[in-house]
Amino acid sequence: MLRSVFLKSLRDQTRSLLWWLFGVVAYIVFVMLFYPTLRQNSELLNDYLQAFPEAFRLAFIGEVEDITSPNGFLASYVFSLIMPIILLVYAIIAGGDAIAGEEERGTLDLLLANPVSRSRVYLEKAANVAAGVLLISLATWASVVLGALPVDMSVSALRVAEVCVSLALFGLALGALALAVGAATGKKGTAGGVAAAVALFSYLMYSFAPSVAALRPYRAVSLLYLYNGADPLSNGLNLVHLTMLVAFTVACVAVGLYFFRRRDLAV
Amino acid sequence: MNESVISLDHLTKYYGKSRGVRDLNLTVRRGEVFGYLGPNGAGKTTTIRVLLDAIRPTEGSAQVLGLDSRRQSVAIKRRLGYLPGELSLYDNLTGSEYLRYFANLRGGVDWSFARGLAARLDLRLSQRIGSLSQGNKRKAGLVQALMHRPELLVLDEPTNGLDPLVQQELYRMLLEFRQDGGTVFLSSHNLPEVERICDRVAVIREGNLVAVEEIETLKRRAYRELEIHFAGRVPAQAFAGVEGIRRVRVDDGVLHCSVVGSLDALIKVAAQYEVINIVSHEPSLERIFLAYYGGGIEDAA
Repeated sequence: MLRSVFLKSLRDQTRSLLWWLFGVVAYIVFVMLFYPTLRQNSELLNDYLQAFPEAFRLAFIGEVEDITSPNGFLASYVFSLIMPIILLVYAIIAGGDAIAGEEERGTLDLLLANPVSRSRVYLEKAANVAAGVLLISLATWASVVLGALPVDMSVSALRVAEVCVSLALFGLALGALALAVGAATGKKGTAGGVAAAVALFSYLMYSFAPSVAALRPYRAVSLLYLYNGADPLSNGLNLVHLTMLVAFTVACVAVGLYFFRRRDLAV
Repeated sequence: MNESVISLDHLTKYYGKSRGVRDLNLTVRRGEVFGYLGPNGAGKTTTIRVLLDAIRPTEGSAQVLGLDSRRQSVAIKRRLGYLPGELSLYDNLTGSEYLRYFANLRGGVDWSFARGLAARLDLRLSQRIGSLSQGNKRKAGLVQALMHRPELLVLDEPTNGLDPLVQQELYRMLLEFRQDGGTVFLSSHNLPEVERICDRVAVIREGNLVAVEEIETLKRRAYRELEIHFAGRVPAQAFAGVEGIRRVRVDDGVLHCSVVGSLDALIKVAAQYEVINIVSHEPSLERIFLAYYGGGIEDAA
């Protein structure tokens, strides 16, 4: 596991990543077991939800018609809010730490005294962040698909895979942003702050734009909207949104690399 | 044999407000142990970090092993060993894991050689780095710098935090390294250390290179601070013109002065009076620099 920067970084976060995966699987399985109870009380629950103002529902539950349908249930308990939050927290921590963390701990100095270029270290670190995001997304997919079996919930493994791909791209976008800001500034705090601000802005644009007519056209600037706005769980992947997320990610990685190659490193 | 291994050409680096180096011109030749001497904050680490391409020159350039420090950095690092002054290793790895990691990034090293280095420095490789003392961490850093048999060693304050026995072993290792054709560039604020192991020395102060000397020359210009206690009062002007004497002050039968070079002339003058005691102070490096290279000696006080 010490053969490359990528593998060494993966090794370093093995323990933490296992806890993340455990948490995601445990949460999803637990929620799925709760599904039969919820379905029995479906009318009650839907009436209850209808009592909330629309904006409130959109903000905290997402665009869900029937919370007791399989897709409505998965959207409200897994994909609308919880999983994007988990992914964004993971991606921002991992992305911010990738270069800036190593620089702040002072270990980047000697690492780069080896015959490895800054670009290579940066890209291997980026791949490491991506690997974590992809593993969590994969665990999400597996837990939903397998968790649906015992509770007799009919879900399409393909559609779940599609929403998980979209989820992964959302995580990659924020991870890439945190990585880039961290690599460009050398400051983990700045990286986390900027990425968290973008995530928060995304959330506001996504959740409140539908109820504010003037904001509606600008929903596409929200990463959260690009992830889930077209409801990939029901409709499959939206290629435009997917492309925009990929483009955002690639642009972040490229800009971060550009500045990282040029700047002075801290002692 | 006179091939240049490090060559600084009008190297200038401003960073922060006052830190940095100005217009450095310097050549380190193959096979020498070159000392880079200066007080803390003089710009030693700045220079070294330019060689490593961790920071970039504001103006001028640096060549290492005939390669440009910026454009050919990876090729340079393949042939260079580096020990930073502020050493941060991976605390979660053991010594041997750490060395293996860096060996892998170098495409492999002769592992028995690396183990031999660790054994010479009495470094236990099985311990986690986080649990090592500062001195032992520096040993791990040294093994890391030497294990791939580099042509050039760049060491920033290498003996900082090493106990005297290990220092001696390090000096021996460096001299062997030179005997095998290696070149050493080491920074230090410790003049005796530099005198002991270096062939040449550059003196840097406040970002300016003030002198590049053979160690022999430096030794010949030995600088001391003396106090001579007399039985009675002595006139200050009796010592004013003595060869090599500086900063003369007499109070209450005690002469305070500093001397560059031979003490002979001073002793002969002092012998005309009744001498009770002679005290010689080890001068601080700052004083030495000021005495040698400062503008006026007077403003040193």
